[in-house]
Amino acid sequence: MRRPRLVSGISIGVLITLLFLLPVLYVVMMAFESPTHFLASPMTPGSPDVSNFGNAWNSADLGPELLNTVLYSVVAAALAVALGLLIAFPIARRLLRGHSLLYTFLFVGLFLPLSIIPVYAEARMLDLFNNRIGYIILHIEQPGLPGLPLAVILLTASIATVPHELDEAAWMEGASYLSYLRRVVVPLTRPALLIAFLYAMLGVWNDIIGPVVLLADPSLAPVTKGIYSFYGSNESQFTLLAAAVVIVSLPVVLLFIASQRQINRASLVGGIKG
Amino acid sequence: MMWGGLLLGVVVYVLFGIVPMVGNVIISFTDYTGLPGEAVHNLGFSNYTSMFSTEAPGFDPAIVATLVFVVAVTLGQNVLALLFAHKLKGSGKFAAAGRLLVFLPIALGVTVVGLVWILIFNSQEGPMTSFFGLFGVHSAFFGADNWAMPLVILVQIWQNVGFSTLVFIGGLRAIDPALYEAAAMDGVRAWQRLRRITFPLLAPSVTVNVMLAVVGAFTTYNLIYVLTDGQYGTQTLGMLSYNVAFGSFEANLGYGAAVSVLLFLITLVVALPMLFLLRRRERRLIG
Repeated sequence: MRRPRLVSGISIGVLITLLFLLPVLYVVMMAFESPTHFLASPMTPGSPDVSNFGNAWNSADLGPELLNTVLYSVVAAALAVALGLLIAFPIARRLLRGHSLLYTFLFVGLFLPLSIIPVYAEARMLDLFNNRIGYIILHIEQPGLPGLPLAVILLTASIATVPHELDEAAWMEGASYLSYLRRVVVPLTRPALLIAFLYAMLGVWNDIIGPVVLLADPSLAPVTKGIYSFYGSNESQFTLLAAAVVIVSLPVVLLFIASQRQINRASLVGGIKG
Repeated sequence: MMWGGLLLGVVVYVLFGIVPMVGNVIISFTDYTGLPGEAVHNLGFSNYTSMFSTEAPGFDPAIVATLVFVVAVTLGQNVLALLFAHKLKGSGKFAAAGRLLVFLPIALGVTVVGLVWILIFNSQEGPMTSFFGLFGVHSAFFGADNWAMPLVILVQIWQNVGFSTLVFIGGLRAIDPALYEAAAMDGVRAWQRLRRITFPLLAPSVTVNVMLAVVGAFTTYNLIYVLTDGQYGTQTLGMLSYNVAFGSFEANLGYGAAVSVLLFLITLVVALPMLFLLRRRERRLIG
């Protein structure tokens, strides 16, 4: 009775490791291979060679592209969360008629399909095409990248747990709305804010269609577009490509490990939604 | 101040979230090219009728590719996620590490994930070339007609199964453990417990996951763009819409918009009855 269960538990563990760890480890190994050793025996590691990293860094413009990515994703996500908070507070406190209608209207935003054609048309018309500010504005909210509506949904639920008495006390003291939000609501809703921010940031960070369509100038390219075109021009330099992939992934993987507690918490959100 | 903030937020949402959805429909009735200074004309329904004419190669194969992709991804992603969730729902260290691992592809994003699999399945010195070579099988993988679609489906599942797993874990943890204890006391076998308790009570998570997988598989094409750019039989409707708008020299945004409007309608026609059936199933199972 107990044995088959243990065996199946182990085999799923092996399956997950094989499926999810091995491909990633293989690419890391590849990044440390000298090109000649890799060509000779692609399956076995040779003596570690770090020259791929320097070569990839220098020939792929990864530095400026990473800076672009950080700028776009952090600013767009921060704006999405800030605007989300400004929408969520009146909804959560039911301060307007039709608050539940407005909530539904924003909820729909979670399911809008990726549609880059009209976003491109809008970018052309509003002069948001091929410039940093425009790119950021277009990434606060976009069909298929619902940073803003997700922030509203998560924050509405979170603000509901902040006691009303705190609102009234602040009103009496004559605190301004924004300073009340900043000093009281933000600290008390930090976990929801963080999840909303991480989600929005990851969406912008990993976007590939957006930069290909909305940015033309190579100096504006974020790292996704940069590494994709690097792949286009170095298709058979496998070890170089692998090193570039590792460099590009490192910041996300570190952030991901640092925020694993929040991600586990996000699974609870999934449970509530279900 | 409060109303100003609310207004600002809603204006941004409408302008960049809702207006594009309406704009897409408007563009689909025109010959818009996206080039500044070029006149735009009203074409009526001709973008739509030309999809079904013989002049539009790639449309019929795109319908088939889309359906194959949606069915395979939805089934594969949910079966695998259920299996993973069952093993990773615990609070132990291995379960936590496993959850982190299956979620990793979502953090890495489609570009890195796509390139990882391109490197592994590269047709020159990749490990899969060596592996399949042992069996005398040689292929260009992502560059081969009979391999590209199955591989794209597998990578799409690999990319997204972590999220479905987390949703199932949430659903499994929400089931009252007392139910299992009571059933165990009554001598109910493991398989029966699974069938009588777990599956029925997991119904709401099944609804969420199936809907997410169906809608996602219908509409996203960014991973396909990285892996094959829609070549070798992997051009789904979403990919076709992108390619006629931005991939070719024609810059036919009007036609691309029409394809994506049609895709949206197909998604609704499939997803809404499914949602209805899944909700009815929930009510039947939970009562």
